Amino acid sequence: MPRYGMVIDLDRCTGCRACVEACKVENNTPTANLWMYVFRFEDGQYPNTRVWFLPRPCQHCDNAPCAKVCPVGARYKRADGIVSTDGERCIGCRYCEVACPYGVNYFNWQEPSGNYYMDWSDPDLRPRTNGQTPPYRNPDLDRAFGPDQRRIAGGGRQKGVIEKCTFCVQRVERGQQPACVSNCPLFALHFGDLDDRNSEVAQLLERTSSWRLLQEAGTRPRVHYIGGRPPAAESHQIEAAKARV
Amino acid sequence: MAARVERLPYGIGRFSAGWIVLIVVLLAIVAWGIFAYSRQFVEGLIVTGMRDIGTMGGSTWGLYITFDVYFVGVSFAGITTAAVIRLLNLESMKPVARMAELLTIISLILAGFSVLPDLGQPIRGIVNLFLYARPQSPFYGTFTLVVAGYLFASLVYFYLEGRRDAAIVARMPSRLQWFYRLWAAGYRDTPAERQRHDMVSFLLAIGILPLLVTAHSTLGFVFGLQVGRPGWFSALQAPGFVVMAGISGIGLLIAIVAVIRALLGEQQRLPLPVFRWLGNLLMMLIAIYLYFLMVDWLTATYQPQEHEVKLTSAILTGEFAWMYWSSVLSLAGAFLVLFVQFVVRRHSLALIVLSGLLVQVAAVLKRVLLVVPSQVQGTLLPYTPGTYSPSWVEYSVIVGLFALGTLLYVLFMKVFPIMEVHESEQGG
Repeated sequence: MPRYGMVIDLDRCTGCRACVEACKVENNTPTANLWMYVFRFEDGQYPNTRVWFLPRPCQHCDNAPCAKVCPVGARYKRADGIVSTDGERCIGCRYCEVACPYGVNYFNWQEPSGNYYMDWSDPDLRPRTNGQTPPYRNPDLDRAFGPDQRRIAGGGRQKGVIEKCTFCVQRVERGQQPACVSNCPLFALHFGDLDDRNSEVAQLLERTSSWRLLQEAGTRPRVHYIGGRPPAAESHQIEAAKARV
Repeated sequence: MAARVERLPYGIGRFSAGWIVLIVVLLAIVAWGIFAYSRQFVEGLIVTGMRDIGTMGGSTWGLYITFDVYFVGVSFAGITTAAVIRLLNLESMKPVARMAELLTIISLILAGFSVLPDLGQPIRGIVNLFLYARPQSPFYGTFTLVVAGYLFASLVYFYLEGRRDAAIVARMPSRLQWFYRLWAAGYRDTPAERQRHDMVSFLLAIGILPLLVTAHSTLGFVFGLQVGRPGWFSALQAPGFVVMAGISGIGLLIAIVAVIRALLGEQQRLPLPVFRWLGNLLMMLIAIYLYFLMVDWLTATYQPQEHEVKLTSAILTGEFAWMYWSSVLSLAGAFLVLFVQFVVRRHSLALIVLSGLLVQVAAVLKRVLLVVPSQVQGTLLPYTPGTYSPSWVEYSVIVGLFALGTLLYVLFMKVFPIMEVHESEQGG
């Protein structure tokens, strides 16, 4: 059984947010739901400022507070470490969301149909696509995954349930990388089996010192950062996403 | 004229124009609340003011959770008072017992109804809790101990304590005679039966008191065990919940008893000493809570963690300061009003009721302060601070719930004696 994890190299990240877009296209997430997000920070006082970036996927914690508090076991940790959400069991109490120190959960406040990243049936879009509709609805997301066959990829969306980053379970189970990792133009994101000594992530962690976000919360995240440093009180967010449904 | 003598006590079954107007108004408000909820049921929680924590800059729990905590808190009053009256054998307090128990039962029902609209999938919520409930979740305690255990124990206690009066009113001819017979279930209040009844009630009262502390604590644990939200993670959360529950519950009970006393003209059976006793209990609970506030304040300001600083300043001096200081002032004010009366040994009904109402303000504001700032100002990652203002749907549902509670209370008063029936009132 692999032990999936992610390594994010902050020295390489330029804050282009291509990972955010890749995630939205691959997972077809509703408007304003940013399963992957990139903070843009400005530290210091002008003219001595430094701008830096911090990608924030779900941390897939080993001691996940969200899974602990779920009253019905809709949020759970798979054996391979992916913290998953069973959209068919979730009752929409949002306890996971208040328990999470990282703010990675997104609730479907309304029926997500027609509320996705891009509405391909939009008449304005017709001339450009010649009426051809790309696979707007990613069929992979509707499938059931894992030995217990639970629908955890966020497909078949409905209102009133919680969603978050799945580590692109539909791609990972096919042997592919998560969409954000594949799409990073600067190879700042890495994904793989932390237990496999030959994997890229294990090698990176062996070669360089790393840290994890909010380690003091005792969550034991599966996402490791190399380079850079954790955000501090003086880290001031610039160009924040203003998306709100 | 014989029928006149055997009229049921406390205006049961008799609806004057005023009562009918009251019931119609309450029904209209409840209908409005149901309409508001229907919008939410159809369109989703988008019609509320709640949004996601983090990039959306919202509060994902709002007024529904706030008032769930409030209603569960209020439920403290009834069963505590009733159990204490039974355990300490406070004869003079007995007329209050049923009013208090009824308050507990109704507020627990309202608590359930205020958590249901918070769920994105309410129907699934009810089904899945039976299918997949996990004891590791603090919500489990809320559902099992509070809703199931506590409500069930309260209902049993309420039923048993009502049998004597049911037996008495069942002897009088009325349209509800079958109901009273059913309630009494063969109980005739013979000395042997009464002794057995006293024994059972005494044991039940002893059993209910620890249940009370654990039930209110579990609701505190829903917040107090969360390390991810500044302002929540505290061992003081559970005891604070128990004490604040007592304050809001006893305070509301005082107001309700005063209203019933005026409505039924029962100044004799509900004399000032009854209010004095409740007022003194309220005063002691407020004193304990003020102590908790001091401890909390010192811990939060002496050498706070970086993340706590932002939250503490938002509460003490920032956008939530008006709420915090209003709640502190109303608590301190209520305490002073009660304490001065206690010291000079002269009590005024109006002043006791005033302090009972003042603490309601504190109880609601303190719960808002618990739920909201930790979400909009309490993100551990440097997200932009968020905002939360409830929508008309949330306000309507909450107002509708208050109307529903009042309606249930009023209707019960019209079908069953709200106080113990006096021996002299036992008809032919």
